[in-house]
Amino acid sequence: MVSEEEIEKVSKLMKIDVDDHKEYVDKVQSMINYFDILDSAGVESEEISMQEISISTLREDKHIPFNEKLIEKLNNYKGTYVRAPKMSS
Amino acid sequence: MNLKISALDYVHEVQNGNISAEDFIGKTLEQIKNVDDKLHAFLSVNQDALNQARQIDKKIKSGDKVGSCFGMPISIKDNMCIKDSKTTCASKMLENFVAPYDATVITKLKQQDAIFIGKVNLDEFAMGLTTEFSAYGASKNPWNTDFVPGGSSGGSAVSVSAFECSMSLGSDTGGSVRNPASFCSVVGYKPTYGLISRYGLISYANSIEQIGPLSRTVKDTAFMLNMIAGIDPNDNTTIDNKNEDYLSGIDSGIEGKKIGIIKEMVTEGTDPAVLSATNDAIAKLESLGAICEEISIDMVKYSVAAYYTITATEAGSNLARYDNLRYGYDFPLEGYEFNSYISKARRNFGPEVTRRMIIGGFVPSAGHAGKYFLKAMKVKSKLTKEINEAFKKYDFLIAPTVPILPFKLGEKINDPVALFLVDINTVTANLTGKPAISVPFSVSNGLPIGIQLFADSNNDKSLLQAAYALEQTVKLPEVPL
Repeated sequence: MVSEEEIEKVSKLMKIDVDDHKEYVDKVQSMINYFDILDSAGVESEEISMQEISISTLREDKHIPFNEKLIEKLNNYKGTYVRAPKMSS
Repeated sequence: MNLKISALDYVHEVQNGNISAEDFIGKTLEQIKNVDDKLHAFLSVNQDALNQARQIDKKIKSGDKVGSCFGMPISIKDNMCIKDSKTTCASKMLENFVAPYDATVITKLKQQDAIFIGKVNLDEFAMGLTTEFSAYGASKNPWNTDFVPGGSSGGSAVSVSAFECSMSLGSDTGGSVRNPASFCSVVGYKPTYGLISRYGLISYANSIEQIGPLSRTVKDTAFMLNMIAGIDPNDNTTIDNKNEDYLSGIDSGIEGKKIGIIKEMVTEGTDPAVLSATNDAIAKLESLGAICEEISIDMVKYSVAAYYTITATEAGSNLARYDNLRYGYDFPLEGYEFNSYISKARRNFGPEVTRRMIIGGFVPSAGHAGKYFLKAMKVKSKLTKEINEAFKKYDFLIAPTVPILPFKLGEKINDPVALFLVDINTVTANLTGKPAISVPFSVSNGLPIGIQLFADSNNDKSLLQAAYALEQTVKLPEVPL
């Protein structure tokens, strides 16, 4: 059973701030509690299968010319820089 | 002018000069105007569509080479990028986002002279299965507007079902193409993972999601696959399909094929009407010469929990970019410190996205990853092994697409776990990467029921043949628009 405090801590770390906090916590709690069914799957000894992709199949790491249009789509920018709020007051 | 014709019939009619692209697009726009106030499939309509149709008619008349679509109207789920068009993901966060490039599927369809008639509704960022989580309001089921159309590609299914387009592209992360296809009585296809490029699809859960067509017939889906499937250098998860022709031999039949009926997907919780339709479908397949037997896939019981754990984790990472600095809406920076600004900006996410982001932070976090995320990944591995074993014995697997009938708008929106369980029959194909299709099969009390067939990876062509065989056994009533 996951606690309200644990969910609140994660919300803060995820930078998520909601008005109706209790409602969110209750629903998230019920969703995570449902995941407890995984405990009875008996998969402790199971290996996680991974798909390896050869580096040769990756897209070429090449320079793509800067696209001014992308910057124009931002709400807060100055020249070629994105404007962000202060890190601390 | 009959808007109810299939996509392939449209191509045939235009090629033979019986109709023009301009007339068909004009009628389609009229249909959208007439029915979409009630159904709300579309988030935006292409204002240049008629002009584009005229250009295609001109090419046809002058004998120029014309692409295979001949100006066919196709709707696109609003989580795929069309250059210089709004791509909102049905979120307030991307309300004014205009895509700077085309998704690969869009590039391919443009080369085939498709006309994108509009962008259609979805649950915000494709998280949901009713479209009720769209920031712009829910779509309605054309069979009964009090009921949900399914989701997340609900706008796609509604637009095909209500003759507002000839075909649509949706995306399927846990059933988001097949579920609305089943609820709206259209064909919905989730291809083998990697068959269709995801480049330009706004990411939700990259490791399992796929773009998939929704159409009025199985043949139309095969036609669409011929145009959009195959390797893409912009998406290194794509596979080389060697230019497979999915239409050729589609009527090969299923005589002698072995079909496994997945026991865990036909349970006590299955609606009696859905159960009856499933038994009827099995009987019809047997009458065509297929051999059907029950099979148990034990991990199906845990598949929904594994699916939501994995997708929320990927969503938590994918949606971290929506901080209102790189993407976002008009919200000034002044007066905020960095963290509080981002927290405040993220209030523009809707409730389901917010919940999944919190879960996506929680389940892989230190102290919880072993209990949730790693266990979910192990279930995924074991489920894949079980399914691979099943395909050593069977050519196809079968189950109802959704174990229940479409339900009323608002009925389940406040119960996330009840909504989870609607996905029980669809998530397996995503977690294992297998192709699966929902075929419209029955209508009970005015509400559609779809039957789902699965095949092994890269057997998309034979899956379409089986689906076509099943489709030919039924004659369904027309949607009561």
